[in-house]
Amino acid sequence: MENPLHHFELHPLVHLSLMGFDISINEGVVAMWVALAVVFGLFMLVVKNGVRLIPGKLQSVLEMALEFVRDMVEEFIGKEEAPKYFPFIVTLFFFILACNLIGMIPGSYTITSQLVVTGTFAGFIFVMTLFIGFSKHGLKFLSILVPPGVPKVMIPVMIPIEFISMLARPISLAVRLFANMTAGHTILFVLFSLSMSASLMVGWMPFGFTVIINGLELAIAFIQAYIFTILTCVYIGDVIHLH
Amino acid sequence: MPQFEQIEVFQSLIFWSVVSFALLFFLLKKYAFPPILQALEDRENKIRTEIGDAEKLKQEAQELKANLEAELKSTHEKAKTIVQLATSEAKKIQEKTLDETRAKNKQMQNEMEREIEISRNKLMGEVRGFTAALTIASTEKFLKKTMDDADRKRLTEESIEEVIKEMQQRQMN
Repeated sequence: MENPLHHFELHPLVHLSLMGFDISINEGVVAMWVALAVVFGLFMLVVKNGVRLIPGKLQSVLEMALEFVRDMVEEFIGKEEAPKYFPFIVTLFFFILACNLIGMIPGSYTITSQLVVTGTFAGFIFVMTLFIGFSKHGLKFLSILVPPGVPKVMIPVMIPIEFISMLARPISLAVRLFANMTAGHTILFVLFSLSMSASLMVGWMPFGFTVIINGLELAIAFIQAYIFTILTCVYIGDVIHLH
Repeated sequence: MPQFEQIEVFQSLIFWSVVSFALLFFLLKKYAFPPILQALEDRENKIRTEIGDAEKLKQEAQELKANLEAELKSTHEKAKTIVQLATSEAKKIQEKTLDETRAKNKQMQNEMEREIEISRNKLMGEVRGFTAALTIASTEKFLKKTMDDADRKRLTEESIEEVIKEMQQRQMN
């Protein structure tokens, strides 16, 4: 049986470099572009058809998704600050969701199964939260490292713990999405390979599981996009409201 | 795992991730979000306005209903009063008519009684005259003698009294 992790390998399709940096286009980049095009295309389809007061099917779905994300942003970030961060959060949600779903198509690539990609987003969000925190509260932002109600003697202990906890946030954010996508696709690959290699008498069983796991993966694609987005809202909300 | 081993693709993936996301963010923020969010806001405002209008209309309808009910009640009371007044008026008219009729009847009865009395007196006068003449004539014949004026008068009076008594007795029977 082929190595189940083999399909996570990337091969350059077009070699490109920018100021000495390799920016070659590979299957992952193409999948990312397809996700981008799908998201933008769906939104533009609604906009081009005219955004109506009484919405059509596609407009309803997109509006529901937007309202869902908006409620989430308002809940964790607050109604006053929400409009400022809403476009970023909603773009993040649709981009990750589209990348996850594109990966479900046989023969395509799941770009969110690359730790470096999820790490880039998580790292960017982490830096952004620090920037928001310092620009909003100045040095008082460092009080986020001291949870409220902690006795003064415990502060020297709590600060390193909170610091590690803060650093763990982007790591957990990145690893969670990457691990879920990788594990799901690996299991699917293994089960499908088993059903292909075994005889029909036995092969129907792993194939059946492939179908079930595929449905589960579809749900995971939505859930992971939701978790990534909601945690981003929580982190931004934390640095805005401190405690 | 290829995700950790293929270090050479990291630069490319980081670069294109940032560029792709930034591009999508820019495109959606510029072209897609404004009209859709505007539509959502318009709809929210419209719904809010319409709910407000509906509440206002409901309140107006309730006020109107209360007014109409009060008016209906007042009209009912007025109608009831009018009916009572009409009934009382009719009763009064009826009583008045009855009294008038009674008075008229009484008057007619009195007139009749008077007329009867007059007729009776007249008749009694005639009877008295006739009886007197008859009594005198028959007595003269019976006694075969002529009576003087005083006997005639006494005899006449007695005869008249007897006749009248007889007549009254008959009338009573």
